[in-house]
Amino acid sequence: MHLTEPDDIDFNRRSLLMLVGQMGLFGGLLWRLQYLQIEQAKIYKNLAEANRVDFRPVAAPRGIISDRNNILLADNDYNLTVDFIPEQADDIEAAIADLSAVLNLSPAHQKDILKRIARAPAFRAVEIDDMLSWDSFARLHLNLPYLAGVAPRVGDLRIYPYGKATAHILGYMGAKTKQDIARYGNTPADHIGKDGIERQYEKALRGRAGARQLEVNARGRTVRQISNNDGTPGNDLRLTIDIRLQEFTRKRLGSRAGSVVVLDVHSGEVLTMVSAPTYDPNQLSHGIDNASWQKMVTHEKKPLLNKSIAGLYAPGSTFKMIVALAALEAEVIKTDEKIHCDGTFHFSDEIFHCWQKEGHGSMTLETALEQSCDTYFYDIAVRTGIDKIEEMAKRFGLGRPTGIDLMGEQGGVVPGRDWKRANYETQWWSGETVIAGIGQGFLLSTPLQLASIMAMIANGGRYITPFIAAPLPVYGTDEVATPEHLRLIRRALYRAVNRPKGTAYHSSLLVRGQRMAGKTGTVQVRRITQEERESAGGVIANADLDWRLRDHALFVGYVPHDKPRYAISVVIEHGGAGASVAAPIARDIMHHLLSLKPAPQPFVATNVEDA
Amino acid sequence: MNFHSLKALRNLNWALIYSILALGLIGVAVLYSVADSDFALWSLQHSARLGFGMILMFTIALMDVRLLYASAYVLFIVLLIMLIGVEVGGTRSMGAQRWLDLGFLRVQPSEFMRIGLILALARYYQTRHPLDVSKLQNLIMPAIFIITPAVLIFRQPDLGTSIMLVLTGLGVLYLAGVNWRYFAVGGVSIAAAIPFIWQTLLPYQKQRVLVFLNPEQDPLGSGYHIIQSKIGIGSGGLSGKGFGEGTQSRLNFLPEKHTDFIFTIFAEEMGFIGGIALLLLFVLVIFLHFNIIARLRNPFSRLCVGGMGWALFVYVFVNLAMVMGLLPVVGVPLPFISYGGTSLLTFLLGIGVVLCVERQSMTELPRS
Repeated sequence: MHLTEPDDIDFNRRSLLMLVGQMGLFGGLLWRLQYLQIEQAKIYKNLAEANRVDFRPVAAPRGIISDRNNILLADNDYNLTVDFIPEQADDIEAAIADLSAVLNLSPAHQKDILKRIARAPAFRAVEIDDMLSWDSFARLHLNLPYLAGVAPRVGDLRIYPYGKATAHILGYMGAKTKQDIARYGNTPADHIGKDGIERQYEKALRGRAGARQLEVNARGRTVRQISNNDGTPGNDLRLTIDIRLQEFTRKRLGSRAGSVVVLDVHSGEVLTMVSAPTYDPNQLSHGIDNASWQKMVTHEKKPLLNKSIAGLYAPGSTFKMIVALAALEAEVIKTDEKIHCDGTFHFSDEIFHCWQKEGHGSMTLETALEQSCDTYFYDIAVRTGIDKIEEMAKRFGLGRPTGIDLMGEQGGVVPGRDWKRANYETQWWSGETVIAGIGQGFLLSTPLQLASIMAMIANGGRYITPFIAAPLPVYGTDEVATPEHLRLIRRALYRAVNRPKGTAYHSSLLVRGQRMAGKTGTVQVRRITQEERESAGGVIANADLDWRLRDHALFVGYVPHDKPRYAISVVIEHGGAGASVAAPIARDIMHHLLSLKPAPQPFVATNVEDA
Repeated sequence: MNFHSLKALRNLNWALIYSILALGLIGVAVLYSVADSDFALWSLQHSARLGFGMILMFTIALMDVRLLYASAYVLFIVLLIMLIGVEVGGTRSMGAQRWLDLGFLRVQPSEFMRIGLILALARYYQTRHPLDVSKLQNLIMPAIFIITPAVLIFRQPDLGTSIMLVLTGLGVLYLAGVNWRYFAVGGVSIAAAIPFIWQTLLPYQKQRVLVFLNPEQDPLGSGYHIIQSKIGIGSGGLSGKGFGEGTQSRLNFLPEKHTDFIFTIFAEEMGFIGGIALLLLFVLVIFLHFNIIARLRNPFSRLCVGGMGWALFVYVFVNLAMVMGLLPVVGVPLPFISYGGTSLLTFLLGIGVVLCVERQSMTELPRS
């Protein structure tokens, strides 16, 4: 080894220089550390005290809902709320007592609050009260420095300007439950959609939550806002509803129990869907006391149920169009063929009665529909057979939900041999075919299905899927029945409303040359015994019966008769006769619809992600 | 283990090994504190990596230095290929393409490249006559060695690691005896090139530099981290808030609190006294490197140890200066303490190389 090689000297000099340089730079770091931790320590300690970061998710503004003419149906408002954060108060009871003094809370309310606080984790904010007045809210803010753990905030509140008229369509907002969160994911919003559109489109309406980063001091008070991300506002929804007609319909139904559905026969747009009696969703969103809630739940007229999609009724005589179409397709009758009605129909030892005790005389298909002759349909139902009737009913969508974009829709029942075997474990009796001919027996349908059948008959037989916010894909463009047969049916339905012998003649309407066509239905909900028929008074009148035993009154129809545009179904629970109760309601609603100025705007659906 | 390697093990530089172990264990403790006393979150992994890394370190330390020397270029080329592999098929993480997924292990070749570069340069200068190192034709290869991987890493994009690699390479060049005029010329050209480099920077990189120059310009965005880091360190004061008692660092204002900003929580909890102690420990480790150099005779060994010591210094200095607000936030971990497998592993491998060449300081290496 040659210790004095030139590169050795140079290397040693360079490495020493490097080491010195490094130590110098480290000295700089030490000086900096000293500056931060000794010289400036006090300043930074103060900053640290005031410096805690709090991350708070904030709900994005919920999408608003409007009708087809852009009239607001659901809007957002503020809700002055006060929360309590247990971990921020040393003495919780004292803190609540102080707060109660400011807000004038009752001792019972205080007890309830303490109970809720005991259940919640210490860091979680517990809602003390909401819907505070500006007055209380201001008083709260004024006293905030003396109130430990109290956090006033502006919460969210959903308001429904048309409240009762839109209750069943829109639903309402309520407290989040575990099931809601499991289904829709969590949201920082106080409330979640509980029914109707609010629930169906919960995800689209709520948008994407934002977050606020706050600097808070040792007592949890906000010092300043670090960052604010408002999130993505929820989608606004435009519904196919025309609130003018909806509101008119609700008023027209009054205190009756029942449903009215008005559809566009070509597109399936729901212009009106009223279920009565109704409730005030504003009241529910504000929180309702238990007694009132129980009263609503147990009320015999079921105000919470959307009868339009979840009420099940035998279609009665409104089913006769389906029977007629099945018979025509099976070619068991000719259009001019006459069947005699003497008021009864004898079939294998049983007697079936026509509603017209004296009989209608000689009936063709057109006059039988016009006058709703039961005997005629008993006869052709037997000739057609239940299989073909069942098939035709299913083609029109009976027996399964229509697929409307509302939750909780029922599908109803179309009976048949397989159905009977599956549900009753017995065979189909041909007597059951007879009463199926007039839409009684096992048949069950929703008012929405009835309206949608009417629409398909009116539009020339194209299958439609009713919708209320987003158009859904149609099942197919197949025609559900022969156009020629449908024309015949429509002619008969025109007569039923516009000819003196027609069952709904007293409900005919004329607006600028436009007339209504339709079919009445009266559905028995009790069995009429032979003794009752033969008794001195005959069949007991509806007015003399207990409300729950009275007939359901039905009417389905469309306007205008020559160029069908809107279809309607009216179902009045235990209302009496279809002709005297349901048809006049339908007439008034259709009259209002045709007279609307301006006419309902064409609906162009806004894009909504499927919920 | 046979008698020979046992003896070899006993002859290793244990002062250096213990110092490194102490640093690693400080890392485990600080990670435990920053995880809110949750050992499993980061500390467990860090301990496991420390153990695994030290086994690798001993393995390298016991290697024949001639094998290390012979494989220097191969290693460099393999790492270069891996960097290209990242470019082509790397996994994107946090907006940057830095990881190579080997199935069983996700590695960051850019960090390993530091070792590869030092070894390749050391080997290159081993075969050059000391009086020739400053000749222009002898600068071409080293320049290629440094610039090729630096450009690849810069493109990932990872500005921090890229700068660190260039600084490491320049340190080796300086130790090898390259005329200081070149560094002066290089410095001037870089200053002249700044406007052009500025053009190629990504928005987040520009933002970091701008915010460094004036943190208050964006107190709620990028500058926020620097301000909060300073508050954390400053509020620690002389004696600190105590282990596990730091309030600032544990709050979520620092997304990198367990990696790049780990010193913030250490200084907050241990105070100025703890900060000096940690700094002195690093000084000791670096000093030990130069202590070893004095006993080495061939350029390869000298440049290996000098390069590793220099790289360690650069990382420690840049990281600490960064968290104390003296340098822009460029994403450089604190060696042995920050959470992160590749960083810990590569620095332990570096120590392994140092131990290896020291142990065989008398072994002759070919000079051409």
